[in-house]
Amino acid sequence: MEFYTYLNIFETKGLEYLLLLSFLVLFILLVRYLSAPEKGGPGAEEKVSTKTS
Amino acid sequence: MNRTAVLSSEFVRLGRFFLEELKPRGRWLTPFNVISIPTIIVGLIILYFRFVYGIGSVTNLSQDFPWGLWIGFDVVTGVAFAGGSYVITFVVYVMRIDKYHSIVRVTVLNGLLAYIFYAGALVLDLGRPWHIINPIIGNSFGYNSVLFLVSWHFLLYMIAMAVEFSPVVAEWAQLEKVRKFLAGLTLGAVIFGITLSILHQSGLGALFLMAKPKIHPLWYSEFIPIMFFVSSIYAGLSMIIFEGTISHSVFKDLIGGRDHHQYEEIVLGLGKGAAITMFVYYFFQALIFIHEERWQLITDFWGYWYLVEVIGFVLIPCFMFAYAVRNRNLGVIKVASVMALLGIVLNRLNVSVIAFRWYATNKYYPSWEEFVVTLMVVFTEIWVFRWIVTRMPVFRKS
Repeated sequence: MEFYTYLNIFETKGLEYLLLLSFLVLFILLVRYLSAPEKGGPGAEEKVSTKTS
Repeated sequence: MNRTAVLSSEFVRLGRFFLEELKPRGRWLTPFNVISIPTIIVGLIILYFRFVYGIGSVTNLSQDFPWGLWIGFDVVTGVAFAGGSYVITFVVYVMRIDKYHSIVRVTVLNGLLAYIFYAGALVLDLGRPWHIINPIIGNSFGYNSVLFLVSWHFLLYMIAMAVEFSPVVAEWAQLEKVRKFLAGLTLGAVIFGITLSILHQSGLGALFLMAKPKIHPLWYSEFIPIMFFVSSIYAGLSMIIFEGTISHSVFKDLIGGRDHHQYEEIVLGLGKGAAITMFVYYFFQALIFIHEERWQLITDFWGYWYLVEVIGFVLIPCFMFAYAVRNRNLGVIKVASVMALLGIVLNRLNVSVIAFRWYATNKYYPSWEEFVVTLMVVFTEIWVFRWIVTRMPVFRKS
């Protein structure tokens, strides 16, 4: 009968998978952050005027 | 008038025009001239001794440390700095993003000069410099050598960049038909140049693959070629920002007011590109760190030094770029670009000089002559750059 055993995250690729997943999430956040209308830029003015109207 | 007469009169006109352009312009007594002229003169004297009495007479290189500051800074770092050329030509000519068109000429000129001077500095570092021609003429081809690939790529890429820049020279010499012909070659030269760049930027890293036992494990990995390629992208972008900042201050008379405003948008775009590339590079570093289980290596001096490089000069400037782009803060972008460039210098010198044979008791320290010659190469390149941009239509079309 086989028993469930804990895996050592340091000895397996577990940590690498976690890093990869966190990178993908962070990368999307970074691109979204950079793609948002810049503060003080032309895009930002349009956004403000839309909100106030 | 027959064809021969027309041609000869055109040659005479070109000769007179060129002689006229050779005459110096502007003030002589500037801070840059005061520093650079004595440095270049001393550098030339050192080079005389280097070529007459051999490389050992002016450098601290040895059999244990055959590559020093000249290779580590001039060639390995200088070529990374020239990476902006292939990035911008790709963005403008392949992706058709016209926003960056106004900086193509100056970027290609920078790249061309960087390759001529920095890759040309290889001649200084070869024990038998006349052998530099061997990979080209077929004397003892080393087909399986990375240096064989790199030397051919340097040569071909310099030709490709010369073709890319040649329409500017033709425009300057008022040769309209020649300019049109050369402009037609640009796209082909750009695609050829991008292919070459990707391969030899990574090829420079591949040079160190054979030195595994000699490089500290924190800097050695089988992915060095990829790391060199990815870092050359943000090195090139940071160099464009840095160089552009200086050019917009020094050559402001040559750049119109409209271009000044446009340049702000360009800098923000370049900063965005640099932030994303640095983030990817940092992730690769982290992945290699975990994959190679380097935990136990970061508890001594070399570990702290590695963290200074990766966190201090990659992650922090990455966040600075992102913050500055979001807040349209050009000042922070410029500081971040300097930090990114310092990070590249640090990384390349760590791989090729500082962490190379880190265990040796008799370490290599560059001699003062090596520093002077390195400065001489940089100053000479700036002199040639200045001569060209004050005469040719580099910042704007004539």
